[in-house]
Amino acid sequence: MSGGHDYPHEPTGVETRKLGMWVFLSTEILFFGTLITTFLLFKGRDFPGIKLTDVYDIPFTSISSFILLMSSLTMVLAHNALENEDQEKTRVWLLATAMLGAIFLAGQIYEFTEFYHKGFELSTNIFSSTFYVLTGFHGLHVFIGVVFLIGLWAIGQRQQGLSLDGGMNLEFIALYWHFVDIVWIVLFTVVYLI
Amino acid sequence: MTKIIEPAKRTNIFRRPSSEYGFWSWVTTVDHKKIGIMYGYAAFFFLLIGGLEALVLRIQLAQPDNSFLSAAEYNAMFTMHGTTMVFLAIMPISAAFFNYLLPLQIGARDVAFPRLNALSFWLWVAGGLFLYSTFIFGTAGAPEGGYLAEEVGWLGNAPNGGWFGYQPNAGFKYSPGTAMDYWALGLQILGISSLVSAFNFIVTIINMRTKGMRFMRMPVFTWMTFAVAFLLAFSLPIIAIALFYVTFDRQFGTTFFLVEGGGDPVLWQHLFWLFGHPEVYILILPAFGIVSEILPTFSRKPLFGYAAIVFAGFGIAFIGFGVWAHHMFASAISPVAQAGFGLSTMVIAVPTGVKIFNWLGTIWGGKLNLKTPMLFALGFIGMFVIGGLSGVTHSIVPADTQQTDTYYIVAHFHYVLFGGAMFGIFGGLYYWFPKVWGRMYNETLGQIHFWTMMIGFNLTFGPMHWLGLQGQVRRTWVYAEETNLGFWNLIVSIGAFIIALSILIFMANWIYSRRKGEKAPFDPWDARTIEWTIPSPTPVWNFSKAPEVKALDDFWHAKYDEDEEGRAVRRDTADALLLQLEEEGLNPEEEIELPNPSYFPIILASGLPFFGYAVIYKSIPLALIGAVLLLVGSFGWAIEPLEEEFTTKEEEE
Amino acid sequence: MSADHKEHPTPKKYVQIAIVLGVLTALEVTLYYIEDLVGSFTDPLLIFLAVGKYIIVVGWFMHLRFENKMVNRFFAGGMILALVLFTIVMLERGMANFFFN
Repeated sequence: MSGGHDYPHEPTGVETRKLGMWVFLSTEILFFGTLITTFLLFKGRDFPGIKLTDVYDIPFTSISSFILLMSSLTMVLAHNALENEDQEKTRVWLLATAMLGAIFLAGQIYEFTEFYHKGFELSTNIFSSTFYVLTGFHGLHVFIGVVFLIGLWAIGQRQQGLSLDGGMNLEFIALYWHFVDIVWIVLFTVVYLI
Repeated sequence: MTKIIEPAKRTNIFRRPSSEYGFWSWVTTVDHKKIGIMYGYAAFFFLLIGGLEALVLRIQLAQPDNSFLSAAEYNAMFTMHGTTMVFLAIMPISAAFFNYLLPLQIGARDVAFPRLNALSFWLWVAGGLFLYSTFIFGTAGAPEGGYLAEEVGWLGNAPNGGWFGYQPNAGFKYSPGTAMDYWALGLQILGISSLVSAFNFIVTIINMRTKGMRFMRMPVFTWMTFAVAFLLAFSLPIIAIALFYVTFDRQFGTTFFLVEGGGDPVLWQHLFWLFGHPEVYILILPAFGIVSEILPTFSRKPLFGYAAIVFAGFGIAFIGFGVWAHHMFASAISPVAQAGFGLSTMVIAVPTGVKIFNWLGTIWGGKLNLKTPMLFALGFIGMFVIGGLSGVTHSIVPADTQQTDTYYIVAHFHYVLFGGAMFGIFGGLYYWFPKVWGRMYNETLGQIHFWTMMIGFNLTFGPMHWLGLQGQVRRTWVYAEETNLGFWNLIVSIGAFIIALSILIFMANWIYSRRKGEKAPFDPWDARTIEWTIPSPTPVWNFSKAPEVKALDDFWHAKYDEDEEGRAVRRDTADALLLQLEEEGLNPEEEIELPNPSYFPIILASGLPFFGYAVIYKSIPLALIGAVLLLVGSFGWAIEPLEEEFTTKEEEE
Repeated sequence: MSADHKEHPTPKKYVQIAIVLGVLTALEVTLYYIEDLVGSFTDPLLIFLAVGKYIIVVGWFMHLRFENKMVNRFFAGGMILALVLFTIVMLERGMANFFFN
C-alpha cells in the first residue's frame, strides 16, 4: 500500500481494498440494472419468432442455479478456514468453489448450444438478443471469477500460503464471487421463472 | 517501527522498475503527481486538436454557401470536436487536477491504489489513441443514395454521428463504415478508465485522510472531486451497457435500437442521457471546486457558507441524476415525462444558485487581489451565470422544442462548458502553477491571456444565441445567403480565432515560465489549504510527516488570528512558522517509503485497443494479442512484490 | 464502529444458511410449476423469495450485516439509485407507448 507506516490509514475502519471492492460492486448494480431494464422492457413487447419459453429447460437451469448458490457456501467456508489459519482447508474450499463455478459455466454453454440448435439465436428477435447479452454478461463475470479463484488457489500453493492482507486478497475475491451469485438469484427469477 | 525487508527471492522476473528520471520513470510511474502532469499535458494536446477541429468548422461557416468542407467531412469534424472536448480534454484535465491535488489536499502520500491510478491514465491514453486511429484505419461509408456518398477526404474518416451518437443514425444502416465502431469502442475504453479512477478517488477520500481531516474540514475542491467520483461511478455503467448494445447492433446483427427489429431508438437516448446529464456535472463540478479555492484566497476571506457549498454540490450531483430527459423534449417521450423533467430541471437551478450566491458572498467586502487566477474565477462566475440562465430556459418545454438543435443550444452549453468549466480550469492552472513547477507564471501574459480569451469567447458564443433564435440549425454544414445569417457567423468565426490566439499566449506563458519564471515561494498566494504548507515544487514524498489538521482552512488559521471585530490579523509567529515549514518539508526526518513504479499498468492498458480492433475487423489473432497482454498485465500485477521492495528515500541535502 | 467487531458466524451456521437458501430455491421452482394453482400471486411471491435469498447472501455470506455503516450506505445507495432510475425509464417507455400507439 502507499504511504509509510507513520501514516494514518483507514479513518473509517474499513480495509481500503475491501472498501474499493464494495464501491465497485455498488456500481455493478447499475451495469446489471441497465441490462435487466432492457430485458424487462422488451419482454413486454411483441416480437416475432421463437420465445425463451419454447426452448428452456427449467429443471436443468434450477440445478445449475443451485450449484452456483452452493458455491457461495464453499466460498464462505474457504474464507472461514483462512480466518482460522487452516491453509489446507482454505485451498480445498477454494478449489471446490472454482469447480462449482466451472460446472455452472459448462451448464450455461450447454444451454446456449441447445437453444441455438432449437433456433433461438442471438439475432432471432429482440428478446433473444437481450437474453444472450444479459446472461452472457453474467457468464463473463462467472468466468472472470473462476480465473481469479484458480489464480488464488495457485498462489496458495506457495510455502507461505495465503493471508488475509496479501495482494490477491481472498476476502476481496469472495465479495466479488458472492455478488455474482446474487445477480444470478435475481436473473433466475426474472429471466426464467416470471 | 521495525521494518522487515524480505530477501528478493522471486523478484528476478518480476523485478519492479526503479528509474527515477527519464522516459521510463514516466512510463512506469505510480506517483500521483507525475500521473497528474501526464494527464494535463496529454489532455491539453487533445484540447488543441479539438480546438483545431472547431476552427475548421468555423472556417466552413464563416461564409454562406461555403465549400471548404464537404457535408461528410463537416459531420466528422463536429462529432470529433464534441467527443474530443468532452472525453479527451475537459474530463482528463479535471483528472489531472484530481490526481495532483487530491492527495495533497487531504494530506496523503498518494492515492489509495497507485497502480490502478496509473492504469486509469494508460487506459485513457489507449482509448484516445484508439479513437483517433479512425483517421488512419476508419472509413465513414455512405448510405445508399445519400448525399454523403460524395467524395470524402481523410478528414471524413472519423465518426460522424454526433457526439451523442443517436440511433438509428449511428447504426450500421446509415453509418455503414467502421468509424462509428471506433467511436463506440473508443468510448468504452475511456469509460473503463474513468470508472477505475472514480473508485480510486472515492476510496482515497474516505480512507486516506490525514489526522484530524474530518469530512467537514476537507477543502471544497476535494468535496467536488468526491461528488464527481460518485457521478462517474454510478453513471458510466449505464453508457457502457448502451455502447455494448450499439456494438452488438453494428457487428452481430441484433436490433436493440432499430425499430425494424422491434428495438427502441428512444431507449438509446434514455441510456445515453442517463449518463450524459450527470456527465455535464462531471465536467463542471471540478471547476466549481477550483473556483471555490481561488475566490477565498484572493478575497482574503473565508469561503462564505462552506457547508452550503458542499451540500449544494452534492445536491447538484444528486438531482443531476433526475433531469436527463430534458435533452429529449423533442423526442417521442410522453407528456407526463416532459412535465416531470421540466420541473426537475427548474429545481436543479436552486442548488446552483446557492453556489453562485455563496461565491458572491465570498467576494463581498473582501480585499480583492486581481491576479490571473482570480480574473478567471470572476470570469467563470459571469459566464457561468449566463450559461445557467440560458440553460434554465430549456426547462420550459415549449420553448425548448423551439430551441433544440439550434445554435441557441450550442451557445448555452459552450457558456457552461467553456465559459464555465474551461475558465475554471485555466484559473486552476495558473493558481497551482507555482506549486507544481516551483516557478511563477508571467502575470502580464496571464492577464493578456485572460482578456483575449474573454473577448474571443464572447464574440464566438454570444452571437450564437441570436443566430439560434433566428433559426440557424445546429450541425448543418451550409446556410443560404438569403437567410442573412452571414454577418454574425463571420463574427463568430473571427471570435474563434481570437480564442485560438489567446491559447497561443497561454502556451507561450507556460513554456517561458516553466524555464525562466521567477522562483516561487511555497506559499505565494498566502493561501488557506494544506497543499501550500509544503515546498514548491512538491517533493516526491509530499509531506515529510503526516500533517495534523485542526480546523477548516487550517493553514490560514496557523498564520492569522482574528481581532475583536473579526478581521484577520497576521500572527507574529507566522513568518517563523513559514521558515520552519520549509525547513521541515525539504528535510524529512524519517525514512519515507514510496510505492514502487510498475510496468504492468501500461501493459494491461495496451491490451484493450487490440480487443477493439478485433471486434471491428472480426480478427481472432488480434483478440489473442489483446488477451495475452491482458493476462501478462494482470498476472504480473498480482504477482509482483508489493511491500518488500519499497524505495527508501534517504535525506537529501 | 462497534458493528465492525461483531463475530462472524461459524461454519455450522453457514451450512444452515445454505440449507435455507436451497429450500427457498426449491420453493421457487415449485411455485413455477404450480403457477395455475397460485394464480396472480405467483410473480409477487417469486420476487419476494428472490429478494429474501438476495438479502441472506448479502447480509451473511458477504458479511454486510457485520460491516461498517459506510459500506452499507454505499451498497444500499447503488440499489436505490438503480431502482429509481430504471423504474422511471420503464414507466416512461410504457407511457410513451400508451400516448403514441
